Amino acid sequence: MDASVVPTNLELKALIDMSTAINMEVFYWWCTALMVIIHAGFLAYEMGASRLKNALASGVKNILAFAFVVPTFFFFGWWIYLAMYGGFSPDFEAAAAGVPWSASMGPNLTDNARGIFWGAFVLFAATTASIMSGAVIERIRMSAFIILAIILGSGVWILAASWGWHPDGWLVSEWGFHDFGAAGCVHLVAGFFAMGVIINLGARIGRFDIQGNPVDIEGHSMPMTIIGLMLIIVGFFGFLGGCIIYSGTGQWTTIFGTPATLSAVSFNTLIAFSGGIIGSYLVTRQPFWMMSGGLAGIISAAPGLELYYPPLAFMIAIFAGSVAPMVDKFITRKFKLDDPVGAFAVHGMSGLIGLIALGIFASGYPNVNGPAISFTGQLSGALVMAALGFIPGYFVSLMMVKMGLLRVPPKAEVAGLDLVEVPLSAYPDGLPARSNNKPITL
Amino acid sequence: MASPITSWEGAEVIFTFADKPVIIGLILSLSIAVTIFGIVATLKHENKTYIDYQD
Repeated sequence: MDASVVPTNLELKALIDMSTAINMEVFYWWCTALMVIIHAGFLAYEMGASRLKNALASGVKNILAFAFVVPTFFFFGWWIYLAMYGGFSPDFEAAAAGVPWSASMGPNLTDNARGIFWGAFVLFAATTASIMSGAVIERIRMSAFIILAIILGSGVWILAASWGWHPDGWLVSEWGFHDFGAAGCVHLVAGFFAMGVIINLGARIGRFDIQGNPVDIEGHSMPMTIIGLMLIIVGFFGFLGGCIIYSGTGQWTTIFGTPATLSAVSFNTLIAFSGGIIGSYLVTRQPFWMMSGGLAGIISAAPGLELYYPPLAFMIAIFAGSVAPMVDKFITRKFKLDDPVGAFAVHGMSGLIGLIALGIFASGYPNVNGPAISFTGQLSGALVMAALGFIPGYFVSLMMVKMGLLRVPPKAEVAGLDLVEVPLSAYPDGLPARSNNKPITL
Repeated sequence: MASPITSWEGAEVIFTFADKPVIIGLILSLSIAVTIFGIVATLKHENKTYIDYQD
């Protein structure tokens, strides 16, 4: 062979390094694309769960959550993740690459990783905002929702991620907190944030009768809602793919460095999805909760998707899937809370169950940077996440109530937000003719 | 000129105006201002549409 065409060791190494970097980019690129399907799902889900008179307004709200979280996550969200892993005091040096004017925060031929990881994280961020979005449909002001979505999506969840979903996060390094699939920083935080908001937002007009008994307000398209839930599940495969680190030079790892395989995640995600459906079916016999239960099942197994024996994940998911509708019923009847899509029960409660379950069933597994997994570490970490979600959700929305900025006027709510705010009709034959956002008689 | 490079040889940071921090600062500030304006505009739109729906 001609010696001039035989690659040197250095050339071979450079080729392998570039292939590894590009393979990594390709992997997270498609994870991110799949996660966009989560938002298609949330969009369909929320529009279907809204009454005909609010269908488009709910859609606009959901789309705007995505639109505002992405730039604000660029402005400060990514910096929070890199800087705040130690608590409330930032590490400016570690976060220098995350400031929005950094050389890594844009096209850079020597950095194949930053943008693709930022993309995956921003989709996680938008997911948290969408979780809250469903809980507040049909009565929140759009502007208030956008502000809350930014606080949750570009602030609160990523602070939680920095603490408990980062190799050096203090929950990981000090308490051995372990949460492979972001059940804590995404689902638990978003569910409790949503709970804090709906306490101040109040129920939709007509949700409770004079005696305080709940009155069902059904969305205008249950099939759309159920298909939306299935889309969320599809997107979850991108979400969970984004939870595993592709190094290209060795075994996959969790985000905090412990070895993992996609095969393990495949076993447990699919079986947990099934378990959640069965659990909810046994309790409710209806498809909205079956699909929500499937989601609850995956979330409840998420902290240990890379560790569980699959039938154990199945049993945990059955439990979470059966508990979710009961929790939703309980908070509705007992506390008169109106959570139209069961966001707290599905995300908040299943996240809590998942983190505690891992403490019960996976105690003793070693961590790379910190103590081994323990029940107390998981429980304490879950409580921190719950507080981190609930406190800002409650107090910011309370402040908005005091300023009269949280809720739409009652007359607008009764008329329907599509008629009042959206210059377009979802189903023209189903709404009165209008002129200048008022109904008219032809 | 928006290009921070004159050759692809050894090029690293290639985003527009990467070598002009003042312009980067202006664009970033403007984009933050536009984002805030988007929220304010939403608030104004709501207030306008709610006029006919006050108690």
